[in-house]
Amino acid sequence: MDALLLIGLSVVTTGLITGAIFALVAAGVTIVYGAIWLPNAANGQFFMLGGLLVWSLVTGWGMSPLLAAALVVAASVPFALVLEKGLIRYFYDVPDRNIVYLVVTLGLAQIFAGIFSSTYGRWTDNYSLPAAWPGIVMIGPFPFPKTRLLVLSIALGLLAGLFVFLRLHRVGRALRAVFQNREAAALRGVNVRGIYRFAFVLGTLVVFAGGTLFAMAYSFDLTAAWSMAIVAFAIMIVGGPGSVLGSVVIGLVFGFTQAIVSVFANPTIATFSYLVAMLVILLVKPSGLFTR
Amino acid sequence: MTDRLRVPRVAGVVLLVALALALPVAVADRRFYAFIVGITFLHVLWTAGMNLLSGFTGLIPLMYAGLAGIGAYVTVNLVMSAGVSFWLAMPLGAVAAAVVGVVLGLPALRLRGFYFTLSSLVIQSALTLLFVYFPRFTQGDTGISQIPAPTVTLPGLGTAALTGVWFEETLAVAAMLAVLVVWRVTRSRWGAYLVAIREDDVLTEALGIDVTRFRVIAFFISSLLAGMGGAFYAHYVAFVSPRSFDVLTSLNIWLMVAFGGRGTIAGPIVGAVILAPIPYLLQDLYLYKDIIYGVLIVLVTVFLPAGVWGSLLPRLRARLGAAAPARVPGKEFV
Repeated sequence: MDALLLIGLSVVTTGLITGAIFALVAAGVTIVYGAIWLPNAANGQFFMLGGLLVWSLVTGWGMSPLLAAALVVAASVPFALVLEKGLIRYFYDVPDRNIVYLVVTLGLAQIFAGIFSSTYGRWTDNYSLPAAWPGIVMIGPFPFPKTRLLVLSIALGLLAGLFVFLRLHRVGRALRAVFQNREAAALRGVNVRGIYRFAFVLGTLVVFAGGTLFAMAYSFDLTAAWSMAIVAFAIMIVGGPGSVLGSVVIGLVFGFTQAIVSVFANPTIATFSYLVAMLVILLVKPSGLFTR
Repeated sequence: MTDRLRVPRVAGVVLLVALALALPVAVADRRFYAFIVGITFLHVLWTAGMNLLSGFTGLIPLMYAGLAGIGAYVTVNLVMSAGVSFWLAMPLGAVAAAVVGVVLGLPALRLRGFYFTLSSLVIQSALTLLFVYFPRFTQGDTGISQIPAPTVTLPGLGTAALTGVWFEETLAVAAMLAVLVVWRVTRSRWGAYLVAIREDDVLTEALGIDVTRFRVIAFFISSLLAGMGGAFYAHYVAFVSPRSFDVLTSLNIWLMVAFGGRGTIAGPIVGAVILAPIPYLLQDLYLYKDIIYGVLIVLVTVFLPAGVWGSLLPRLRARLGAAAPARVPGKEFV
């Protein structure tokens, strides 16, 4: 009985953390896709970049993980702005831009993958951070590292903040207006290009946040980038491109799937099931489950 | 086609064929360069198949390398475990790749543009996972090494392994055959249908042409070439691992097609000849191969959507006084 309870609690906590991080990254991807029609295939590499930079700051400079994470997330804003200025904005008016963007961001992903394997990949093949908040809390018989509790709360907090922002803030509402109808939004005085830029920066920031949180909670290696990219796409497609609610719900579902499958079998089977789910949705209802 | 282009075109083809057959002999003493020549021929073969889809049909099949992997693994397993001759195993592997390609691709073929490409990315990821997690046939990430060279039995001369310059010549012939097949297909009525589908599939459908059927045919031929290339690759390099056939491989073959010029016959050859040797020639830069190719993907998409040859071709035609050039794809991307 105790063993079952332990497994259950482990599944719930792992599912929550993985799910929240999945949801966060997928929300970033879906915001960008919904607004600009940019399916960012490099999201996994951005995620990885966030994690690796935190790792560098912490292990190289001895910075505290939380401060490092905050710095890295802040640095993602100029990073995204430069990328937008130098590359992304050239395709804003291309009619079939989603496929152009897919190819371009696959190119970006390959560039980053090459950079990582020729720098970080030479140093070590497993990256782990010291606990941001040392110690454990006991949930019944289950020991839960405080760092993961912290990561979970930050991730959920960010998701909640994102929701509130998109529903209530003026810019967030303009962003959703662009999701729904670009022309109508433009007619109502929304600066569509400004929103594009803002969406790219916001989405990138959220993906970076996901990466730094993941790095704080778990040790990782360079292969996590591609799997994250695929999982984020899967969540976005199943949840419905442009739907933040969809990515949160499906992100949590996928996170729990991963946690449950990992108890019984190889986690790869979970990845496999995401791929199948995505393929089915693509064929049956390409607009996803959560779009109106 | 105008008459004025006929002579330069025939001359060009003859020259190219002669060059392709002579090159392996010319570098036969320097195995390193001979190997690069062989690898380039393989990529010419692969780009021909990719071009049929991405250039002439407008579908970007990111599962291309996965299909090549199926061709490779089926062939290698038949040869190494079942003792089948390479010359029987290779067509079987290619057909297996084509069948898997069509079966997996069939539902996706109903999708267009981005959604097709995305589902092909999903299929590629699934294939990579299968390669890694079914080590019975692939030996997982360790890879299969010491794959034997194909053997040839000549009447009166006995059996010998196909090695050295003979292998490169075989690859040259295979590559030429692939280009020939794609050329024939695209110059036929089918080819016209494919281009019509690329330009406007709804209109094509309305004209009574079975869009799905022609897409499936294009898909079958393209996957067949992918699998054939995979089988040759495995036995030429003598080593395969799932990494040889991952999404980046698909992307790089696409890059060679796009760099040269999609929807032209010569373009993909140009792309393969220029880009395939890069990682081998720049030995010290091998680690940066991904960075170089990634940068090229971005640059080609931004600045040269019609590709090197595709941009050159209209000017070439104008200079030779040929009729108004056929529309080259690329300006509108897909």
